[in-house]
Amino acid sequence: MEMIRYGFILLIICFFASLTLSATYKVTHTRIEAQAVTEEKESLDEVFPEASNFKDATLDDKNYYIAEKDNKDVGYIIKAEAKGYGGPISMLVGFDFNGEIKGIKILSHSETPGLGAKINEVRSGENVPWFLKQFEGKGVQNLELGDKPENIQAITAATISSTAVVDGVKKEVIEFLSRVKS
Amino acid sequence: MDLSNFIMIFISMVFINNFILSKFLGLCSFIGVSKETGPAMSMGLAVTFVTTMSSIITWLIYRFVLIPFNITYMRTISFILVIATFVQLVEMFIRKTSPHLYKFFGIYLPLITVNCAVLGVAVLNSDMFFVNGKAVRASFWYSAFQGVCVGLGYTLAMLLMSGIRERLDLCNVPKALKDFPLAFIIASIMSLSFLGFNGFKF
Amino acid sequence: MSKLWQEFKKGVTIENPTFVLVLGLCPTLAVSTSVQNAIGMGAAATFVLLGSNIFISALRNFIPDRIRIPCYIVIIATFVTINEMVMKAYFPALNRALGIFVPLIVVNCIVLGRAEAFACKNRVMNSIFDALGMGVGFTIALIIIASIREFLGNGSLMGIPLVKGFEPVIMMVLAPGALFTIGILIGIINFYHLKQKDKKEIRRLSCHGSE
Repeated sequence: MEMIRYGFILLIICFFASLTLSATYKVTHTRIEAQAVTEEKESLDEVFPEASNFKDATLDDKNYYIAEKDNKDVGYIIKAEAKGYGGPISMLVGFDFNGEIKGIKILSHSETPGLGAKINEVRSGENVPWFLKQFEGKGVQNLELGDKPENIQAITAATISSTAVVDGVKKEVIEFLSRVKS
Repeated sequence: MDLSNFIMIFISMVFINNFILSKFLGLCSFIGVSKETGPAMSMGLAVTFVTTMSSIITWLIYRFVLIPFNITYMRTISFILVIATFVQLVEMFIRKTSPHLYKFFGIYLPLITVNCAVLGVAVLNSDMFFVNGKAVRASFWYSAFQGVCVGLGYTLAMLLMSGIRERLDLCNVPKALKDFPLAFIIASIMSLSFLGFNGFKF
Repeated sequence: MSKLWQEFKKGVTIENPTFVLVLGLCPTLAVSTSVQNAIGMGAAATFVLLGSNIFISALRNFIPDRIRIPCYIVIIATFVTINEMVMKAYFPALNRALGIFVPLIVVNCIVLGRAEAFACKNRVMNSIFDALGMGVGFTIALIIIASIREFLGNGSLMGIPLVKGFEPVIMMVLAPGALFTIGILIGIINFYHLKQKDKKEIRRLSCHGSE
């Protein structure tokens, strides 16, 4: 008999808990979803600033975006994953049909703070991480680390993280371009 | 079902991202029970059992109840209730089969419910192996295996710590540092050495 | 009124959840990498503490003793989820920074500990001040640890770089630094307590001796 009473009390508490949570959900979920959409749109703008519009598309199970300007397709944006030092580095890469990089944004990484994490470091006064800004305007086939102006300067004492980003971008963009052309 | 993925999960959860030494999940019971090797081993095994089973059960609930009914915001509350119920069942089972073991665990058995590692791995599974509300391929096996590995990593840290603390008992320790502070400092050195596993690739 | 103030004060000083009761360590160490995160986590935990203490105290005569733990867990989990949704909606950056520790507030030993030790035996008004005291004490402890770690590990406070030409000790913002910091801090507090005890002993013995 006691068990039934216990079960009943627990049920009442769970019932009111669920009621409160559903109410809070109704109040907040539109805002949460709207935020996710704005964040996504902002990210796309960041990696392909000259585009005015983005279209969703799929190729063999992989989602990507087509960047549009004045109603003409001008390039692609894909999600690329690199094998970083502390784990996978997830990035958004924007590029045109010839493989010229328009912009890169790092979505998540587990690199060491103060070292590899500098791949995402923004210097004061700027708004794009300096390491990633080097990729802009360069052709994906010619990407490599080095000291010459046409190369990418690595981060001091973080060669593995730097190499990971370069290799990851190169591999995924070249592979995507060859697949989408066929 | 990539074998390399399973190996990566094992290496990651036991060494690189060891739940105690790198993510701080499960510290309370870690500091409390790791004074002797016997209890430490038993606690480690108990926690491994709970993390594995709760990983499985919470995966099933997330996949077949929360997602279809679109109530993923009930994740925290349903997961912790599952864990609490399960620990209660384990407690009753141990009480019946081995009263000696039950007394031995004392209060730390029900405390497995609030062990951050248990809820932590359940939440980690639902974040890692579900993308856009759909389960990744072989997600169930990855989740279950991750549960096992988290428990193993916990047990490993417990064994290492209890071995060290047992020897320290025989040394002269400044009074202010006795017990907790020393345990933390030892854990910090262990954690430093585990940092060395970072960057492992194959 | 002064009794309520006592309840509040004890959570901040003599029964500080982090340094004295040694509860809720997991989020403390993980979140104290920067002062900003510390304040955010402290605020979230205080909110959950307040909500759960109020309701558990109000329902303390209604909840039977046998099933009190599951009932407390449901009530606490409800507030944790409300906190999670509000954070996702209005503070998404903080939510990302705190990561997995936002839902993990539900197993924060401080919340369940106060429910068990205080809210189920005291009136609502006292429970409110106890919750506030514990929450503020927790936040202050977090801020102390975070200041040390952020300054030594990043050369900054609240994201504002403070010192130039000082190569920070990166270990401090990683796992070992956290464990080390809290070990030393608790050691210092133990040392202080032991000295107090010694002083009292000396006073007691000398009083008897001079008779």
